[in-house]
Amino acid sequence: MHPVDTMGQTREGAEYGFAFLDEDAKRELRRSIFKAVCIPGHQVPYASREMPIARGFGTGGMQLTLALLGPDDACKVIDQGADDSVNAANIRNFFALTCPGVTGTLRTEEASVIQTRHRIPELPLRADQILVFQVPYPDPLVVVEPNAAKRRRMHGRADYARLWVKLYEDMVAFDEITISHRYPTRINGHYIIDPSPIPRFDVPKLHQADCLYLFGAGREKRIYAVPPHTDAVPITFNDVTFAVENFRDKATGKRHCCRRCGADDSFLDEFLDDDGARVFQCSDAAYCDMRLERLEAAE
Amino acid sequence: MKPILDVDNLTRIHGPGCPACLDVTGPEHDTNICRHCGSVVAVAGASFRLHKGEVLGIMGESGSGKSSLVKMLYFDDKPTSGQATFHDEGHAHDLFSLNEAQQLRLRDTRMGMVYQNPSLGLNFDISAGGNIAERLLMSDELSYRVIREKATALLARTEVPPARMDELPRNFSGGMQQRVQIARALSTGAPLLLLDEVTTGLDLSVQARILDLIMELQEVTGVSMLVVTHDLGVVRHLTTRTIVMKYGRIIESGLTDQILEDPQAAYTQQLVSSAL
Repeated sequence: MHPVDTMGQTREGAEYGFAFLDEDAKRELRRSIFKAVCIPGHQVPYASREMPIARGFGTGGMQLTLALLGPDDACKVIDQGADDSVNAANIRNFFALTCPGVTGTLRTEEASVIQTRHRIPELPLRADQILVFQVPYPDPLVVVEPNAAKRRRMHGRADYARLWVKLYEDMVAFDEITISHRYPTRINGHYIIDPSPIPRFDVPKLHQADCLYLFGAGREKRIYAVPPHTDAVPITFNDVTFAVENFRDKATGKRHCCRRCGADDSFLDEFLDDDGARVFQCSDAAYCDMRLERLEAAE
Repeated sequence: MKPILDVDNLTRIHGPGCPACLDVTGPEHDTNICRHCGSVVAVAGASFRLHKGEVLGIMGESGSGKSSLVKMLYFDDKPTSGQATFHDEGHAHDLFSLNEAQQLRLRDTRMGMVYQNPSLGLNFDISAGGNIAERLLMSDELSYRVIREKATALLARTEVPPARMDELPRNFSGGMQQRVQIARALSTGAPLLLLDEVTTGLDLSVQARILDLIMELQEVTGVSMLVVTHDLGVVRHLTTRTIVMKYGRIIESGLTDQILEDPQAAYTQQLVSSAL
């Protein structure tokens, strides 16, 4: 580990200060975070730095986390619900390497800063926790308007009719809204955000939450936020209700359960086991492990 | 008769503009290019009034400024000077002093535009029904059932087969694209419709059907229309009153019959006599 102190100053012989980024970059990030929190859902442009991983691999989330971490923090990194995938493990190792004092953890309840890709933890987050999303495409309007300048004006005017047209086309073709992830969600009654590729199942967790949600897109150079106790409403028609994945078995009508912990309230991953049978398992590995521990302790 | 649109001294100059621009251009100078600064005077001091339920024709050759005039009224272009007042439901909107959001709001809900080229008025990447739905959504209709029903009814009224309403308009014939555009323009029940060369480029039988459709819709809905065309037949068929433009100036205006039978301005006489 590099010899760095916690004041962010580079000591003699050390290549990097605390948390890798230089202090100017961190100040820039923190200012942008404040602005994002003040204008819920607004995409704040910021000076995205080069990180030692490729853009598109979570550089936006990483910069946010590095700007937030202090030496007393506990940090958790999730990739598709799991803590042990290559992306998550390496980012966690990077934080441990560049932020002396920060403890890496796998437990949701222990972490003060959680960086995530594609999931919100099943365990409800508390007011003293921050969830940082790695965002590939920050702008929900990009599918309907290629011109970035026009998109910004549309956001300003809350001119989102064309997003609803997409829903209309979906209803015409399939009789239901088929957006599975990146569901456009209106924040605090004005801006519509792309909540990063979380499944529909996680979208209601954004609404009136206790914790702060921060979204960072490193390649697109945007930061936006859903502050605590803020309305987050997935867009839909008056007479079409927004529905989350229900994991019902088509034949029996019963909800599938996790094959490890038996949970019937979590987001499930479906896959084939070694015998070729369809099985379901919690997508949130930490939640699954926690339930298993509790079950074992109860026995 | 109540006015719906008052246009007062509307001017649009493309280019830097100079104090002499308006004095050295116009029909009497046989040019609309200022010889001092090279600016193009597209529209100069155009004033007219459109009444409720009236169909007003704007006639003139290519480059006479008739499309520029309508574009400004639909906020596709900003005027250099001048005013326009839109009287709607007891409000008098001073069109060019509204902010952008108010302008677009008005344009999306209270005005309809049919362009010569359907690709300007329609989104070819979404279905015909979706194009109608977009206008309805802009005017805050958020019930899927209502949107679907209204879109079906509007397309039926403009003779687009219901079986094809979920197809992309790019696969439609020119006449049908134009009918989808008309349905879209009518969708919000706007009191003012702007038609910019709607029949140009269509063959004669299709032209006749589109004109009949417009006439019929005008009779049923009582919508006020501004019809831009260089086609004397369209003017004769649709409009009650006509404005003739040349080099950005209004050179003659009056009842359509009067203008076509007894034109006063030399240019209008030429225009009428040259008709096939």
